Amino acid sequence: MRTFTAKRAFVTFGLLPSIIIYTVFVIVPVFWSAYYGFFDWKGIGEARFMGFGNFTEALGDDIFWLSLKNNLIVVVASVFGQVPIALLLALLLRKGTWFQRFVRASVFMPMVLSSVVIGIIWSTIYHPQIGLLNGLLDMVGLGEWKKAWLSDPAIAMWMIAIPIIWNFIGPYLIMFLAALSSIPSEMDDAAAMDGASGTRKLISVTLPMIWDTIKVTIVLCISGSLKAFDLIYVMTNGGPAHATELLASYMYNSTFNVFRYGYGSAVSTLIIIISLILIAGSQLLMRRRNQT
Amino acid sequence: MRKSLLLVLVMMVAVSVFTACSGSQNTGKGTSDGGTGKEEKVALSLWHNFTGDDLRARTMREIVDKFKNDHPNIDLNIQAIPPDGYKARLKTVAAANEMPDVFLMWPGTMTKEFQGGDLLQPINELLDSKSEWKSGFLPGSFDGFTIDNQIYSAPMGLSPTSILYYNQAIFDKYQLQVPKTWDELIKAVESLKSNKVTPIALGNKAAWLAQSSIISSLGDRVTGSEWFLKAAAQDGAKFTDPEFVKALELLQQLQQAGAFQEGFNSIDNTQMEMMFAQGQAAMMIDGGWALTNLSANASKEVLDQMGATVLPSVPGGKGDPNTTSGVVGVGLGLSKKVEGKKKEAAHELILAMSGPDAQKRTLEANQLVSYKVELDESKVSSLFAKVYKLMNSVQRTPVYDAILTSAGADAVNNGLQELLMGGKPQDIAQKIQDAQAKSIQK
Amino acid sequence: MTTATRRHRSVRVKQHGVPRWKQYLRNTVLGVYALLTLYPLFWMYMSAFKTNAEFYASPFSLPTSWNWDNFVRAWEVSGMGKAALNSLWVTFLALVLTLLLGALTAYILSRFTFRGKRLLTGMLLLGMLIPVHSTLVPLFIMMNKIGLLDTHAALVLPYTAFELPIAVFIVLAYLTNIPKEMEEAALVDGSGYTGIFTRIILPVTLPALSTVAILGFLRFWNDFAFALVFINDPNLKTLPLSLSVFATGYSTDFRLTMAALAMASLPTIIVYLMFQEQVMKGMAAGAVKG
Repeated sequence: MRTFTAKRAFVTFGLLPSIIIYTVFVIVPVFWSAYYGFFDWKGIGEARFMGFGNFTEALGDDIFWLSLKNNLIVVVASVFGQVPIALLLALLLRKGTWFQRFVRASVFMPMVLSSVVIGIIWSTIYHPQIGLLNGLLDMVGLGEWKKAWLSDPAIAMWMIAIPIIWNFIGPYLIMFLAALSSIPSEMDDAAAMDGASGTRKLISVTLPMIWDTIKVTIVLCISGSLKAFDLIYVMTNGGPAHATELLASYMYNSTFNVFRYGYGSAVSTLIIIISLILIAGSQLLMRRRNQT
Repeated sequence: MRKSLLLVLVMMVAVSVFTACSGSQNTGKGTSDGGTGKEEKVALSLWHNFTGDDLRARTMREIVDKFKNDHPNIDLNIQAIPPDGYKARLKTVAAANEMPDVFLMWPGTMTKEFQGGDLLQPINELLDSKSEWKSGFLPGSFDGFTIDNQIYSAPMGLSPTSILYYNQAIFDKYQLQVPKTWDELIKAVESLKSNKVTPIALGNKAAWLAQSSIISSLGDRVTGSEWFLKAAAQDGAKFTDPEFVKALELLQQLQQAGAFQEGFNSIDNTQMEMMFAQGQAAMMIDGGWALTNLSANASKEVLDQMGATVLPSVPGGKGDPNTTSGVVGVGLGLSKKVEGKKKEAAHELILAMSGPDAQKRTLEANQLVSYKVELDESKVSSLFAKVYKLMNSVQRTPVYDAILTSAGADAVNNGLQELLMGGKPQDIAQKIQDAQAKSIQK
Repeated sequence: MTTATRRHRSVRVKQHGVPRWKQYLRNTVLGVYALLTLYPLFWMYMSAFKTNAEFYASPFSLPTSWNWDNFVRAWEVSGMGKAALNSLWVTFLALVLTLLLGALTAYILSRFTFRGKRLLTGMLLLGMLIPVHSTLVPLFIMMNKIGLLDTHAALVLPYTAFELPIAVFIVLAYLTNIPKEMEEAALVDGSGYTGIFTRIILPVTLPALSTVAILGFLRFWNDFAFALVFINDPNLKTLPLSLSVFATGYSTDFRLTMAALAMASLPTIIVYLMFQEQVMKGMAAGAVKG
């Protein structure tokens, strides 16, 4: 009985500070912003209630769908680019030799730099006249492949997906390294003694042990991709003609450039809903795979 | 049990101490501020975006600092906000009805929106009390700041948005004339192109450039200002009218003639100005703001080779060809809530920052002003002097994004990027029309 | 320690199975990748020394002259000194709160059952999905009402709140693999839950906490949106604001921007290297305890 009350008190008071801070600074603003989505409001003056008007408008807007399509490219590129690469690197870099530590620190380095620097350097790499990429193509005699990489709407989104993948491998690498460290070494040794090596050990021992971390990274990947903003803002500003518009940049633009606060809020509510659907889907898929 | 309680307590205390701490810091500061001054100290807040290292920003900061030193009775709280975030920040405080007392604002749309939100008060009183100052402004200076005969600000600068900069050395080399008509321009473009020189540098990543610098003037040449104002008001003209489509076609024709370097939609205007400054292009269509950048980055010899003129005339155009689109620059707005002693102080500050003396110093910092000042040419770059002369000889026409609604301007910006990638002029005109019509009903 | 060395030995034994040329190839590929990834860092420092004209004319070559003056100028104009101190203080406080609350919440979520657990998890997930820009206006209005604006708490509390979900989920995922025997033994020995949290959970989750710390540090250190909107007082401003002062909207002074960015990145590099060692140490510790 005494333990029961102790448990209860610990749970209640232990969660209290988190819940208070979190509710006040995240939950309330999120719902408040969602509430604005039902109004026609310029951010100044009177707000006029308009029901689902903003939502139906967004769903009927070509640019919204284009942004969603572009965003799904980023999601797919992140989930199937960042996570496997980070996992592979983590498996290769588990030991602490100086060389591995150096590689590890390097992989993380883009995260340390401000996205302004990353954006500027990649823009310069892709630069049609003085860019590194076109220069390289010239050098190896593939001059006719040269392109204005960020101006061509057919490829611009994919060209931006590359720096996005590259930029965010670091944090996932660290998370996988931390997760790998929680695998008791006996399990490794036991598996090694059983003669399980390489791929088989990976599938039968390692992956199941860090499955929860993989799930978390995928959630982070999806939510991060749908919020992606900084690099786009620096590199193309969503252009040319919305060819690289993402949901978050579309939302930002509606709110702070076109001054339709209510509409921007509706879009951000839609972003949350889309993220939830994607995350729920991914978790469902992974649960099934986990059981088989 | 006791231990868990203890932990929780410690955390609660930590959180509350820490919030209380920052709170008390604040009140502490408040009292000390009140204590040091004399009894009648007036607190005044000022927001501006002169944060950079360019000449104009430095000059404006000097003026503000001097004002602060000269007025010990005014407790001036200065906020220098990076230009990147300035508008977003102002919009946020506007949404919460917490405007600073005096702040930098833009003519046209922003002034209208703030006035509509009942956040501003007019400065007619101040202007009328200094009639000499008021009459020093160039004609039309107050238009963008005037609503129902109430003037809400006085401009601190002038921005012609559409100047054709050219590199005389390159023109001489290929024995070309600076184009006066559209046909001459196309011919010059073709000739330069065949000589493997980029005819016109363009950096349209930020998308407002083609709108502000090219179509605002080119459109006016074709349609005339009157048509544009009607179309913007959706009163008797539409952006789907043949005039406007014609203007779009001309711009597309220029692009198809190979006037711009490759990848112009992914290069920003700073890079475009660099291209021109380094002699990699024969021409550039840009606003008066380019002068700062050009003066800082081109050598004196190159700078002396540069000339400035207006866009060429177009065949059958309804507009006056001897014009450039332009807007007056930012001005200081005064919050509705300011009154009494505070208002007097605010008036003094506005006068210090946009009065005759400030206008003169601004001009000498290589920034055009909408104010009659004799230019001392020894204090500015040769190119600046040329643009100054040009501006005194041409009329000013409206800039698209200063007149259109925000949504309409956004549609023009993106539409022009599409046009320059080969989009159909009719379709783009339709999109612009839809956006403007929709946003203006509200 | 002995377990750790033994582990290394066993790894080495296994490595012998891999042909040597494969190892070399692998290391070469890794090395090249690392150098490519380091290049932007190098590029940033090179660019910081250039003049604006040089920055455009030859963006990928070495500077022709080393303009140290760029750094001096950038430092003076942007007022970075004070901003850096503010950033350190705000980042530190937010980090402490995030780590403490994140670990505590994750511990409770992973080891206890209680009513509302699913709701809490769901709400935490929700917070991860929100684009921060859409919360600016509501947060501003609210903080204005409770008088929090213009204090460092106006940054620390939202930073903590927005980082909490990630912190909780990372630690939570980590804790699921940690055996509970030790905690159960401690409970039998008579320690309270607080004792278990401070003496067992915190040390054991060190690698996960270091991960959280690295991510949090970068997020707080680089935040622009909140710092822009919630802080008025120039004396309280944080670093990202002073980094963007060189772009006027019409032109960007890359020379000074790069110099300022180069200086502002130094602490992040140092902190990253520090915490990375912690992740490492945690790995060694994990091997011992497991």
